[in-house]
Amino acid sequence: MRAPEIVLEARGLVKDYRRARAVDGVDLVVRAGERVALLGPNGAGKTTTLLMILGVVSPDAGTVSICGHPLATKRSLAAANVGFAAGYLPLAERMRVREYLRFYGQLYGVADPEPQIAAGLERFRIAHLADAMGTELSSGQRTLVGIVRATLHRPRVLVLDEPTASLDPDVAHRVRTGLEEISDADGTALLVTSHDMGEVTRLSERVVFLSLGRIIADGPPDEVARTYGHDDLESVFMHIAERHESVAAQQTDHPL
Amino acid sequence: MSAVPAPTVLTGARASWLRIRAVARRHAYVLVRSPHRLFDVTLWPLVDVLLFGSLAVFVGDGDRTVGQQASGYLLAGIVLWHVIYQSQIALSTGLLEETWTRNLLNLMITPIREWEYVAGVALFGMAKLFFGLVVMTVGALAFFSFDITELGLGVLPVAFALLVVGWMISFLVMGLVLRFGTGAEAMAWGVMFVVMPLSGVFYPVESLPGLLQPIAHALPTTHAFAALRALVDGDAVPWDELGYAYGSAAVLLVLAMLFLLRMLSLFRTRGYVTRYS
Repeated sequence: MRAPEIVLEARGLVKDYRRARAVDGVDLVVRAGERVALLGPNGAGKTTTLLMILGVVSPDAGTVSICGHPLATKRSLAAANVGFAAGYLPLAERMRVREYLRFYGQLYGVADPEPQIAAGLERFRIAHLADAMGTELSSGQRTLVGIVRATLHRPRVLVLDEPTASLDPDVAHRVRTGLEEISDADGTALLVTSHDMGEVTRLSERVVFLSLGRIIADGPPDEVARTYGHDDLESVFMHIAERHESVAAQQTDHPL
Repeated sequence: MSAVPAPTVLTGARASWLRIRAVARRHAYVLVRSPHRLFDVTLWPLVDVLLFGSLAVFVGDGDRTVGQQASGYLLAGIVLWHVIYQSQIALSTGLLEETWTRNLLNLMITPIREWEYVAGVALFGMAKLFFGLVVMTVGALAFFSFDITELGLGVLPVAFALLVVGWMISFLVMGLVLRFGTGAEAMAWGVMFVVMPLSGVFYPVESLPGLLQPIAHALPTTHAFAALRALVDGDAVPWDELGYAYGSAAVLLVLAMLFLLRMLSLFRTRGYVTRYS
């Protein structure tokens, strides 16, 4: 059987910030319909990697292509195939939820986003919020609206940075279920960062661990756990985080 | 969502036009839902008309000829000044609004191109400018019997030159905001107070201290306002002044665009987006 098409291809990504190298030669390929979790302790380079994949931070070296469109030269075409949501992103102020979603649908070129808006709000059981002002929503509701926004144009890749952080279990469950439905129905690839290993196990078929800007493990959750001699991802995470902190501390103490 | 047919996604020029209108509408929502911002196109233009119109009446002091000339210079000057002011403020605060509401990352991940965003905010800015000018024109007519339309069609190329200069200044301000963050927003408001006296909005450049006159002569706004005063005096359209205004405005506009693109590239390279997320 032929492997599904590649929807996201990052090769040799490097990013230096003033104090340190944040990402150090990351290669990441995601195929249509794949559910990938990008994991690692704080400071591992996850968010910088995501921001480079989204085209808002330029890599110092390396390339990113989305559905065959190189991000460096065809950003608009590449971005049309990606959706992004993060729990920390606010909604634009002074707009109702429906207006906000229509605005973003149109930025993605959707001529009539209304049916997609109605279906998206219905999927996450927030249809009653359509006429609410963005500032009236709780953080959980904002996250759900953010995911609806990210899926209006039916992206080939959906990137989610800690989508369930600080959500109550019910809303977190709604998010996971909704994401699974979207992935199953439309063949959308998911690339998710999370610190909740239970959620990762439930949602992802592949995990990619980053530490100090490098990929140190990549494979199905069970396989990665076995490689590290553990039964679950939580233990693997703790193992990697401990090592990450010790190396990071050595680097900080280094006289140069 | 699978029950809903896949959306029709526009491409090319139709997609660009859809995005431009979406950006303009988004800023219109912000304006109508922020009553204090409506002051920009209602109260402040009227205050300016009252201030400069009253000054003209005082300067005229009963002398009909001097009074009419002063009214012409001051009121035509302030009305046209609002062209540059409004066009600059609309574009600059368009970007600032995205930083204030931490919306920049949301925008930058969409397929919108930089020029489409700028065009959308400029479209909104022109609608706002039109409204503000109507308020000023009616105010000047009602309070001081000054009818700016009597200056004729020659006022249009003057206004357009000032519109371009307003955009040019806002590109500089936007570039500085991208580079230095919201700390640079003072430029959005302050830069106009520097440009205004140097541009001879109400007086010829010769009235300025000699040291500043070469700087004033180099500005496109100075020549645009000189052309305006010629129209107030009843002269023909001074195409030489306007030609200089357009030529220098075009050069400065290109330089400002290059500066903005450079700052945007730096913004992406240094990852400044994290300031707003």
